[in-house]
Amino acid sequence: MSHSTTATTPKAFGGGRSPFNVSYGKIMMWFFLLSDAFTFSAFLISYGTTRFFSAVWPDPNHVFHSFPFMGEANLPLMFVSLMTFILILSSVTMVLAVHSGHCNDKQGVIKWLLWTIIGGIAFLSCQAWEWTHLNHLGAWWGSFQDVSSPKELYEHFFKADALAAASPEQLSQSTNNFFNFFFTITGFHGAHVTSGVIFNIMILINTVNGTYEKRGQYEMIEKVGLYWHFVDLVWVFVFTCFYLL
Amino acid sequence: MSHGSHSQESEQHLYEGDQSKLYSGVLAHHHDVNSSESKAQVAKIWKVTGILALITIVEVIGGLYLYQYVPKWVINGAFLILTLYKSYFIVKVFMHLGDEVKWFRFCVLIPLLLFIWFIIAFLYDGGAWLEFNQNNPARFDYHQTK
Repeated sequence: MSHSTTATTPKAFGGGRSPFNVSYGKIMMWFFLLSDAFTFSAFLISYGTTRFFSAVWPDPNHVFHSFPFMGEANLPLMFVSLMTFILILSSVTMVLAVHSGHCNDKQGVIKWLLWTIIGGIAFLSCQAWEWTHLNHLGAWWGSFQDVSSPKELYEHFFKADALAAASPEQLSQSTNNFFNFFFTITGFHGAHVTSGVIFNIMILINTVNGTYEKRGQYEMIEKVGLYWHFVDLVWVFVFTCFYLL
Repeated sequence: MSHGSHSQESEQHLYEGDQSKLYSGVLAHHHDVNSSESKAQVAKIWKVTGILALITIVEVIGGLYLYQYVPKWVINGAFLILTLYKSYFIVKVFMHLGDEVKWFRFCVLIPLLLFIWFIIAFLYDGGAWLEFNQNNPARFDYHQTK
């Protein structure tokens, strides 16, 4: 095996090298994300199935219409749009950190990782507010099971005409299902964001300590970056399934 | 790039191989952060950011207003297409899958074809339940039994 300069376009499966041209750690991160994608999609597709067979379903524009410090103002989708922008921007700062790593630019990596961590924490804070807010309206895992509850209990979650037409049993069943899925899926996603923030803090400490500088490459930023982008990718789908459709 | 006789290096080689040969096309080229290639890449990242932001704004407008005027299947189809369009950019540019070699791209993307069956099967199941519930009023619509 000589170090020939013709190694730029060798046969993929010619032997003597990885046909993927990717390091072990990065391949495994990709395969982990692939399996995680199936876990998330199992959640989202079972949500879709349940919704599909339910005669009534809470209206996202009614469920998610509040904004912190805005009192009773009707601002449907605004808060979750803000959360989406925060997460997309933190994904952008992450890809800029990866880019700085490609250039061996230590200060750039530190700067962009800090912004990514701030974005991640901001997103988690928003989600904490939203969970608390919905919890104040009576929503939690296993809530709304009492079929004898008055219809006023559901007025935060349904369009007025849909609320009037639905039976108490339909309201109870669909609202219960909706919030079980909502807290499970956003909670599972939030757990990913939390661990992503922790990973980001770990690689930030390593970067500051010069660990990757000594290694001569910043591939670890790229691997954690893949995880972080995946979390953003999942949110894109959660946003569509829960808030738009 | 020669393997040194340094014991730490050879030990790493034993367990991990020479990882430096396995870097993707992206990491193989170290260039200066102020070079024109670097600036072009950063410009591309911001351009994709703009596209993602724009799509999100369109989606929010659709979710807020358009759904009142457009048939439900049209707006939902548009949401799904826009979502897939967004994820295409995130995976290709942000996750750098577009910079990997062809075989690795296939290896990651081909298993995703299972989603086609996954979605069809479960929506079919949901549809069957809906029909079952509607044709069996005693099962879910307790009004009938009261």
